[in-house]
Amino acid sequence: MKVIDIAIKDLTQTMRSVFALGMMVAAPLLIIGLIYFAFGGAEGDAAETPPAVRVGLVNLDALPKDAPLEEALGKTIVGMFVDPSVAGWITTTEFADEAAARTAVAERRVGVAVIVPGGFTADVLAGRAAAVTLVSDPTLSVGPQMAEAMVRALLQGVAGGGIALETVQGRLHAAGQDPLTLDAGALMRDYATWYREVQRGLLHETEPAVLVWVAPTATGSGDGTLQRIIAQMAAGQMVFFAFYTGAYSMMSLLREDEEGTLARLFATPTGRIDILAGKLLAVMLTVIVQGLVLMTAAHFAFGVAWGQPAAVALALIGQVAAASGLGVLLIAFVKTTRQAGPVLGGGLTVLGMLGGLFSGAVTMPETFARLGDFTPQGWAMKAWMLALEGQPTGAVVTSCVVLVSLGIVFFSAGAWRIQRRYA
Amino acid sequence: MNAIEVRDLNKSFGKVQAVAGLSFFARQGEVLSLLGPNGAGKSTTISMLSGLIEPDGGSAEIFGHSIRAEPQAAKARLGVVPQEIALYPDLTARENLIFWGKMYGLRGAALAKRVDAVLETIGLNGRQRDRVGTYSGGMKRRVNIGAALLHEPAVVIMDEPTVGIDPQSRRHILDHVKALNRAGATVLYTTHYMEEAAELSDHIAILDQGRVIAYGTHAELIAQSGGLARIDLTLNVEAERVLPAWRSVPGLAHLDVVDGHVTALVDDSNALLPRLFELATQAGARIMTVDIREPNLESVFLELTGKALRDEA
Repeated sequence: MKVIDIAIKDLTQTMRSVFALGMMVAAPLLIIGLIYFAFGGAEGDAAETPPAVRVGLVNLDALPKDAPLEEALGKTIVGMFVDPSVAGWITTTEFADEAAARTAVAERRVGVAVIVPGGFTADVLAGRAAAVTLVSDPTLSVGPQMAEAMVRALLQGVAGGGIALETVQGRLHAAGQDPLTLDAGALMRDYATWYREVQRGLLHETEPAVLVWVAPTATGSGDGTLQRIIAQMAAGQMVFFAFYTGAYSMMSLLREDEEGTLARLFATPTGRIDILAGKLLAVMLTVIVQGLVLMTAAHFAFGVAWGQPAAVALALIGQVAAASGLGVLLIAFVKTTRQAGPVLGGGLTVLGMLGGLFSGAVTMPETFARLGDFTPQGWAMKAWMLALEGQPTGAVVTSCVVLVSLGIVFFSAGAWRIQRRYA
Repeated sequence: MNAIEVRDLNKSFGKVQAVAGLSFFARQGEVLSLLGPNGAGKSTTISMLSGLIEPDGGSAEIFGHSIRAEPQAAKARLGVVPQEIALYPDLTARENLIFWGKMYGLRGAALAKRVDAVLETIGLNGRQRDRVGTYSGGMKRRVNIGAALLHEPAVVIMDEPTVGIDPQSRRHILDHVKALNRAGATVLYTTHYMEEAAELSDHIAILDQGRVIAYGTHAELIAQSGGLARIDLTLNVEAERVLPAWRSVPGLAHLDVVDGHVTALVDDSNALLPRLFELATQAGARIMTVDIREPNLESVFLELTGKALRDEA
């Protein structure tokens, strides 16, 4: 009974410590969250339905007579924005004049206005200075940049058509043929058609290279790669902080020693093994609660699917046993709470690295990966990876047995040393 | 049966012998003070009686239960008030008392009743739901004592409970010790304040270098030392000028000079002082200050060890 009393007392103290709660739950969730958002989690479902770019269009251009083109460049530019293939992420509004478009931008009805002036095609064909004006909402960045990129790409294509025409004419001249016999109009039309297809392919096809700007989400990446990365990171962080919490919670033994309450406990008719068992129970309950909270939070906040319940339970049991046992062992070799900070922080970080907690989806060299087998963190990570892959319970049993065995060995060695210290 | 029986207790830390063949006993229902300077072995003795450290040799019993052979039975009869505050600052006073009560085996209604009673005794009913970390030093001291009384121990051990506290809290604690004793508890009280030992104790054991050098009631100890009063004097000239004359004065048992201050142990200060003034005047010296202390434990200690109790404290 006293074992439970001591455990409840320790748990109460832990739950009242802002630092302990921060390190148990807030810190791992924060790190998982940062990783999640770094991989684009903040975009939500943006991969499949990115937020629409609102574009205002003003086309005052017309096709000059005898122009070697099928349509005016202004119409081509507008057509690019109203193409059905971009309808999912570009919405357009056409305006009669520049003033109306500028007003729409000022009122934030559109994010960017593309204004093609009158005589634009004629000026381009005649080699005169010509410009398409873009007016954008200064608070936006992505939408206007996309519009500018699309217009710039198209105009570079037009310039490329002119260069192509000059090149062909030059070649004809060099070959002794009369360049005037060339059907420049047909050539320009062919080039424009080809270039338009290239642009459409570049901008509208959903190939990965083109979609690199679109941050995919854990649930929206099709093959689930990102989801796996986030899940692995979440598992790694959970294992790391479980072992940290195990050692930190066990540090209550050192605190009690320094504050005199341990000596007072020893002066009561309470066995020393009961005191140690009470502390171990508190550590185990703390690590269990921490694991459950982190798993639940990671599931609902980051979409982590932990696997089959029985496999998850085995992984959690193994993690709790090993983390608690290692906590007892580490504290047994530390004399003061002041020493404990660097020893626990440094030692657990090194063990965590060797255990592969921070490598995520990166494939480590075989030798390095093998080192994980010599750390409890490595076995815990292995158990979680199996659970995350949806492996059946039987697959996790070995890891669980190893972790529980390590936990018993660690606890026995730590308890032996603690008994000697306080004999 | 004696409440506490200590025989030939020994404890060394490396080459330092903290307790060297210590023997004493406390009768049931009395207050026994262990008086001695810092380093005399008081706290080590308390630690061995409380079961915190193992003696190297000797025996100690609490109501016949050996602290080595039956530690749990012995501890169950003990309430230990440590010198430093040993409480959980992030728990309330009530939570602390409940926890310590459970460690002494109290449960349920009996525990709740005792917690209420102790809170009443230490005068903290009104703030029982506040965390101990928010208490003043004096309030913490009271909870510190209360935590040792929950199981109504037959023997209460208090290890220098008044060190470093204000006079008001000190008075409160001394009154509390008396009340405990009136209620039937045997109290083992360690201190290096002779006034406390004199006020509280039925018997006093004076410790020095890990052993008892004197034991008895306050009156017995005073008588044991010859009942000498202590006179401290300062002169306007070097003490050596008057010492030869003073040494010849009948009734002057001991004369010592430390840093120009003269200390004399005399059997009757009233009778002797005029003679000391007279001899000083004849030697061309003036007595600048006089401090008379009637026979007390301080002079007993000085007589027994040749050193002052508080000089070491």
